[in-house]
Amino acid sequence: MTNPVTLLIIFGIVLVLLFILFYPKTGFYWRLQQSYKTDPKILIEDILKKLYHAEDNGTKLSSDHIINSLNSSPKKILETISEMEDKELIRFKKGEIKLSETGMDYALRIIRVHRLWEKYLSEKTGFHKKDWHEIAEKMEHKLDSQQTKQLAINLGNPRFDPHGDPIPTETGEVEQLNGKPLPKFKEGAIGRIIHIEDEPEIIYKQILAEDLHIGSHIHIIEKNKKRIVFHSEGEEFILAPIVANNITISELKKEDISEKDTFRLSNLKEHEHAKIIGISRECRGEIRRRLLDLGFVMNTKIEVDLTSPMRNPRAYLVRDTSIAIRNEQAKFILIEKIKIHAETN
Amino acid sequence: MKTNKILNTSNDLRWQIGEGFHDKLTEGIYSDAATIAQNSVHKKGDAKRFRFDRSLDKIVTSKIWGFPIMILILSVVLWLTIIGANYPSGLLADLLIGEIYPWLKGIGESLGFSWWLSGFLFDGVYLALAWVIAVMLPPMAIFFPLFTLLEDFGYLPRVAFNLDHLLKKSGAHGKQALTMSMGFGCNAAGVIATRIIDSPRERLIAIITNNFSLCNGRWPTQILIASIFIGALVPENFAGAVSTLAVIAIALLGIFFTFIVSLFLSKTMLKGEVSSFTLELPPYRPPRFWKTIYTSLIDRTLIVLWRACIFAAPAGAVIWLISNVSIGDSNIANWMILHMDGFGLLLGLNGVILLAYIVAIPANEIVIPTILMLTVMSAAITGVGEGNGVMFELESVPATGDILKAGGWTLLTAINLMLFSLLHNPCSTTIYTIYKETKSVKWTTIASILPIILGFTVCFIVTQVWRILA
Repeated sequence: MTNPVTLLIIFGIVLVLLFILFYPKTGFYWRLQQSYKTDPKILIEDILKKLYHAEDNGTKLSSDHIINSLNSSPKKILETISEMEDKELIRFKKGEIKLSETGMDYALRIIRVHRLWEKYLSEKTGFHKKDWHEIAEKMEHKLDSQQTKQLAINLGNPRFDPHGDPIPTETGEVEQLNGKPLPKFKEGAIGRIIHIEDEPEIIYKQILAEDLHIGSHIHIIEKNKKRIVFHSEGEEFILAPIVANNITISELKKEDISEKDTFRLSNLKEHEHAKIIGISRECRGEIRRRLLDLGFVMNTKIEVDLTSPMRNPRAYLVRDTSIAIRNEQAKFILIEKIKIHAETN
Repeated sequence: MKTNKILNTSNDLRWQIGEGFHDKLTEGIYSDAATIAQNSVHKKGDAKRFRFDRSLDKIVTSKIWGFPIMILILSVVLWLTIIGANYPSGLLADLLIGEIYPWLKGIGESLGFSWWLSGFLFDGVYLALAWVIAVMLPPMAIFFPLFTLLEDFGYLPRVAFNLDHLLKKSGAHGKQALTMSMGFGCNAAGVIATRIIDSPRERLIAIITNNFSLCNGRWPTQILIASIFIGALVPENFAGAVSTLAVIAIALLGIFFTFIVSLFLSKTMLKGEVSSFTLELPPYRPPRFWKTIYTSLIDRTLIVLWRACIFAAPAGAVIWLISNVSIGDSNIANWMILHMDGFGLLLGLNGVILLAYIVAIPANEIVIPTILMLTVMSAAITGVGEGNGVMFELESVPATGDILKAGGWTLLTAINLMLFSLLHNPCSTTIYTIYKETKSVKWTTIASILPIILGFTVCFIVTQVWRILA
């Protein structure tokens, strides 16, 4: 019989090899697959996107900027840029690169696919928010115009992606966001979150960790150079200005403010009564429709029915029916607490 | 074109309506329904009944009592099933194998069947069928009605409610607790039961991991092997308790693997599937006893039994054929055992066990009879058994142990068999059910292959570590 120690060592080596090869994303096998895909089309499209975003923000880009911001060899990028100039996708203007009309059209097409795909991921799949961008980055190079059209129709021709960015139409029109970054507002201002930027990833992850929702109303309490404090849906948030800069707010006029005492359902305590105001826009797809179908709709009275031994999920009494949902979902349901005096006896 | 025009108009309109359209529609439906209900439905004072519900709910979902009550109820159900099934199983075996089997063979003889026709039909096909019915029907006929009664009463949704947080940590759904418990009865029924999980990702997880619930067909194997080999390690007074503990440990290991594999699946292959959780806690109601018995027998027991029979018949034929058809100077079974022995020993098992698990894919119930038959045949033990290809079981546990020991079994073999019985491919009935439920070859393959890879790995590691320490 073979020595057991040798066998175990061989087994261990095989295991480690498999691990190195197939570990999600960083595995050797996946990397090998990736390295095949540096075809010029992708590079052209990535450069077009960079240029579009730069023009949108009003910043200027030179070849150096592009070389620094893309993950490809400088030589290849320079070659691609001159190829793009030949194809009249871009023009040089005092060392600065500008999109031509065709280039602009092309860029908008790519952005349309990217945002549509993010919308698709948010509505029809269970991928986590933090993964959407990366997956869409890959898909935007793959769909042709016919597939894109079909995708848009299947999604009901959405106008905004899940981050609140407008999706360019087929003809290349883009709606303008009429909001300003959060740090531009004064103390006391009240507004609604209309957009959360998902790049760069480090900042986006911080925003995700705070659990802010698109569409929720915020009330700025304190603002200085170090931090911005604001209230939203019954909770207090503190952000560094650099993080807050990636959140776009549209200011609300006094008469639009209806959600003054809004709380999240997850904050409702036992024996408290409340009325549902709505479901946050962050709650999408299957689970949103499910909640609506179960009766979590505006003006429905709600109270806590049962709490499970581990405090999550909790069951709520909705229209005489006890329905259990997890706290992770309850926080998407917005409520207004109400006082009931008559039933104390 | 007219249709195009309509489509374009509808697209434009949808654009104008905006995204809150579905919400507003639902709100409209609900407010209309509420108005209609208010005008036409008159409530009788049922507040008292409601209060009973609530106080019961407070107990079964309480921090202190919630979990003990669940464990107690599941243990009682399993105990009733295992103990209660012994007697009717014995009766059925007496009838099908003790009475009808010799009678059939007699008929064959009087009709002048040649030995191979009678062997193929009665020793092969009929015996496998009889075995499956005798050992499978009674436990299912006890377990499923009990389970359905609990479901009908309204207790099961509370179990899902209590356990959701634990299961969520491995990416699974609270209702998986129910399908898992159902799996203790029968994995095929457990897989069907996953229909109650409305979230696609969690449902697939529940389907793939259901096999890690030790099913009715495997409890007797575990109990038998544990009492022969593990009970024998301690003084006779403790033998029963220790072997019971060993079986429970295997069942718990199964639950542990359910969690680990669920976590693995939700992080890798099932990452992008839609996930959601909502659970309605219906009011308690007295179970409709006879209706429950009837539907659980028809819907669960008979369907599963029928599928098992369809697969058992050809398996019986195969078992008989490989033991009786010869290539060169040995029959196919001996030849396969010889060639698989090396691999089997590497895993701390042997060729007989591997072959038994291959031919006994239709039902775990026939694994032990097949192993006994193959052991007697390949080790050329005389004086026991019914001949090549004829499955048998012995009344006496020590005598069974003697056969296995003569076949080269050690304590290590026994432990590995218990592990492998937990961690191997689902039976063919379950595999077929998984395909029916998922409609996907990919997930069916994964559900079949994954446990066997785990089984090989676990047995291999246990064996090598054992050999180093021994």
